[in-house]
Amino acid sequence: MPIDPTMRTNAVLSPSVRGLATQADRARPEAVGGASFGELVRDALEQLNRLQQEADDAATRLALGEPVDLHDVMIAVQKADLGFQLALQVRNKLIEAYQEIMRMQV
Amino acid sequence: MGVFTALRISASALTAERLRMDVIANNIANQQTTRTPEGGPYRRRVVVFAPVQPAKPVGHAKEINRGMPAQLGVRVAAILEDRRPGVKVYDPDHPDADPDGYVTYPNVDIVSEMVNMMAAARAYEANLIAAQTTKSMALKALEIGR
Repeated sequence: MPIDPTMRTNAVLSPSVRGLATQADRARPEAVGGASFGELVRDALEQLNRLQQEADDAATRLALGEPVDLHDVMIAVQKADLGFQLALQVRNKLIEAYQEIMRMQV
Repeated sequence: MGVFTALRISASALTAERLRMDVIANNIANQQTTRTPEGGPYRRRVVVFAPVQPAKPVGHAKEINRGMPAQLGVRVAAILEDRRPGVKVYDPDHPDADPDGYVTYPNVDIVSEMVNMMAAARAYEANLIAAQTTKSMALKALEIGR
């Protein structure tokens, strides 16, 4: 079934994204005013988690035979996938920036 | 996220078109039904679409007021009955014949229903393509960072 591979991939990779977020949170000091960077990352991850849970719920309801539209399930899965791709790109950029800083000579 | 608004609009349109398809299929299935619990033959049903009224501005209220239409998406406002009289056929032996020997059949014109069915299918496909285009636009935007 085409839905499953996407969900397995998301389940495997999202703990690593969350791990990076808590690391970033501890490494950076709080901003003087406004939301800190760690808070922003945490909010984004919570939204991503919510999207994935919605996709899981929709697929489960469809599998149980409840009257849920097929296109609603597909669109929920697609939203979760888009959110995950965005999180992946953000993670790549964060890692790049971190490595760039670590390369600086003391 | 703005792209999710577009996906939600397409989802509402897909749901509305599927409901319209249900009603058309019901009309076609009942085109020979001469008795109903309410009395009389089956009456053709028609769906009425209307734009979605957001209950109150949520989250991105600024985005809604920036020239965008306040109603995003479509919903089925009502399912109405077609009040036109049905076709009368002379058949005194039919169990539903009235005292004059005429049986009233439903006012479902099969040709109109087939055309409406094709229109609903094409509209469903068009909204599907809109959703896919939104998705590919979002994925292309992610390639900026690559």
